[in-house]
Amino acid sequence: MTGTPQIEFSDVDKHYGSFHALKSIDLTIPKGQFVALVGPSGCGKSTLLRSIAGLEKISSGTIRIAGQTVNDIPPRKRDLAMVFQSYALYPHMNVRDNLTYALRLKGIAKDERAKAADDVAKIIGLEGLLDRKPKELSGGQRQRVAMGRAIIRQPKAFLFDEPLSNLDASLRVRMRKEIRALHDRIGSTSVYVTHDQIEAMTMADHVVVMQAGVIEQQGPPLELYERPVNRFVAGFIGSPAMNFVDATVTDDGTKVVLELQSKPTIAIAGQLEPGRKVTAGLRPEHIETGDPSAQDMAPIMIGAAEATGATTYLFSDDDPELIIVTDGANLIKQGETVGFSIAPERVHLFDPGSGRALTQSGG
Amino acid sequence: MNRLMTSLRDGIGFDTLLIFAALAYLMAFAGLPLIYNIIISFQQVDMFSLGSLFHQAVGFENYAAVFHDPLAWRVLVNTVVFTLASVFFQFTIGFAFALFFNQKFPGATWFRGLFLAGWVMPGLVVGVLWNWLLSGDFGVINYVLLSLGLISEPIFWRSDVDYSLIAVILANIWYGMPFNMILLAVGLAAIPDDLYEAAELDGANAVQRFFTITLPMMRATIGAVLALGIIFTLQQFDLFAAITSGGPAGSSTVAQYWSWQLSFREFDFGRGAVISVIMIIVVLGVSAIYVRSTRAETRL
Repeated sequence: MTGTPQIEFSDVDKHYGSFHALKSIDLTIPKGQFVALVGPSGCGKSTLLRSIAGLEKISSGTIRIAGQTVNDIPPRKRDLAMVFQSYALYPHMNVRDNLTYALRLKGIAKDERAKAADDVAKIIGLEGLLDRKPKELSGGQRQRVAMGRAIIRQPKAFLFDEPLSNLDASLRVRMRKEIRALHDRIGSTSVYVTHDQIEAMTMADHVVVMQAGVIEQQGPPLELYERPVNRFVAGFIGSPAMNFVDATVTDDGTKVVLELQSKPTIAIAGQLEPGRKVTAGLRPEHIETGDPSAQDMAPIMIGAAEATGATTYLFSDDDPELIIVTDGANLIKQGETVGFSIAPERVHLFDPGSGRALTQSGG
Repeated sequence: MNRLMTSLRDGIGFDTLLIFAALAYLMAFAGLPLIYNIIISFQQVDMFSLGSLFHQAVGFENYAAVFHDPLAWRVLVNTVVFTLASVFFQFTIGFAFALFFNQKFPGATWFRGLFLAGWVMPGLVVGVLWNWLLSGDFGVINYVLLSLGLISEPIFWRSDVDYSLIAVILANIWYGMPFNMILLAVGLAAIPDDLYEAAELDGANAVQRFFTITLPMMRATIGAVLALGIIFTLQQFDLFAAITSGGPAGSSTVAQYWSWQLSFREFDFGRGAVISVIMIIVVLGVSAIYVRSTRAETRL
C-alpha cells in the first residue's frame, strides 16, 4: 500500500478480562483507501474498528489518525464518522435532524444546516424524505440516512460496521456499489467491517483477513485469492470455498496423490519432498472436467449434481466431498465417473500441521 | 346449544366471555363504588342513615359546605404543595439514581435492587420509622442538623405547624423515590447503546447526549412516571396517619386525609364523598396524560 498513512496501528492489544481480542495488531491504512476488515464472527474485526472510533479502549500499543496519537482522545474529538449495523438513527428526530445532528453540535447556523441536509439528501437519494421519522422509512432508506449522516461531516475517515447485513440480498448488492461509488467520489478513507468475503472482495482496495484477534493476511483482493498464505485465508476467500484434500507427494516430487476414492494424481508447479503429506487446496472453479479416459484427466465419481442454470455444482462421492463448479451446459449426472484436471499453478499446497502455504521450489 | 358451545370454545364467544368477566369485575369492585360515591356526595349521609341504601338528597349542599369550610383553603394549598414537592423530588432524585446505576460498574443492578426494599415496606411502617428519625428529642435528623451547625435548636418536625407538612413530604420522597428510579432505569436501559455511540462520534459530550438523546428518548417514560407519581401521591394516606395525623391544627391535612376525617371521624359521609369526587376528577385528568404518554412511543 502506498500513500500517506491515515490510520496506523502499531502493536495494538486488547483484552477483555482474560479474553485476548486483538493480538499485537500492526496495520497501516493509507489516505483515500477503502480497506475491508473481514473474518468470522468473534475474530476481532469489530473490536479493531471500534478502537479506531475510540468506542473501545485498547490495552496497549498506539493508534494514530492522520499522524496524531489518539489513544487518549475521546470519540467525539476524533473526527470520524461511523455507520452502524443497526444504523443507530436517532428515532426521535426526523431525517433532516438526523443528518445535521453533528453540525448542530458544532454550532452551525440553522439555514446552513438545512442547506447541507438538502445537498446530502440529493447525493444519497433521500429528497422528499427529510421530514420523515426513521420509523417511517424502509430498511434501505434508513441505511441511506446513516450514510448521509456520515458524509455530511467530511470526517477524517469513514468507519462501517457491517452496514449492509440487515438488508435483503438484492439491495445489498446495489448498496455495495453505491457505497464504493460514494467513497470514490468523496475521496475519503474508509474502513469497512464485514463477515461477507464477497463484500470485502468487491468493495475494497485492500482486504485484511482476521481470525482470533490476529491479522492472518492482508493485501489487494485478488492477491488474497490467488496467493493465500495459509489454509484459513484460502478457505475464507472465495465462494464456494476451496476444497481441501489430504494428499501425498509422489516419488518424483512433482505430483500429488489425492486421498479420494479414485486416488487421482495431479501435477503441481514445482517440487516437494517425495512421500510428504500435504493438504491440497483446489478451488471449485479452477477444476475442469472432461473425458475420464483422456490422458491428462484423473477419474472421479460424482455423488450429486446441482444444476442452477448458469453453473452446475458437482459433488464427488467422497467424504469430504470435492466440489467442482462447471458450466451450466455440462449435463453430468449422479453416479457418473468424470475426468478432472487442474492447472498445476492453481494447485495450492498447505502444511497439514500448521496450515501454512508451502512454497514449491522451482515453482 | 351446540353452536353456542362451539362459539365458546373456538369462536369469538370465548373472547367475549373473557372481556365480560373482566368488565363485570371492574364494574362490581370499582365502577359501582365510584358511582355510589358520586351519588352520596349529593346526599345527606350520617351514622344513622348509613345503613339504608337511599338517602335524603341535598343537591349541592355538601359541596357548598366543603368549599366554605375554614380548612378548605389550607387543605388545597397543602395538597398542591405535598403533591408537587413529593413528585418533583421523587422524580429528580430517582432519575439521578437511575442514571447513576445505569453506569456499568460491578454490582450496579444489585444495589439498585436494594433500593426497592424501602418501597415494598408498608406505608405505616415507613411512617413509624420516620417518626423516630424526625423525633424532636432523640431523632437522628435533628442530631445531624445540630452537629453540622445548620440549626441551633431541635426542630419539632411533627408538632410544629411550620414543619409538619415538610416532615411528611420528606418521608414520602424517601418512600416513593425507588419506584421512580426503577421505572426510569427501565426506560434508560431501553435506549440502545449505539445511539449514544453514534452521538459520541457525532461530537456530543455527556451533557449534550443527555439533553439530545436521553431526555427525548425518555419522554414516554417520564410522562408515565410523573403521572403515576401524582396519582400515588394523591393516594398517600398511611404516612399522614402515622406521622402527623393531619395536624397540628390541620397544618398537614391534605385532601385525601381530610376526606377520611370527614367520613370516618366526623361521620359526615356526604362531605367526605365530595372530596373524593373532586380527587377522582383530578386523577382522571392525570390518567389521561398517562395514557397519552404511553401511547406516544418514540422508539424505532
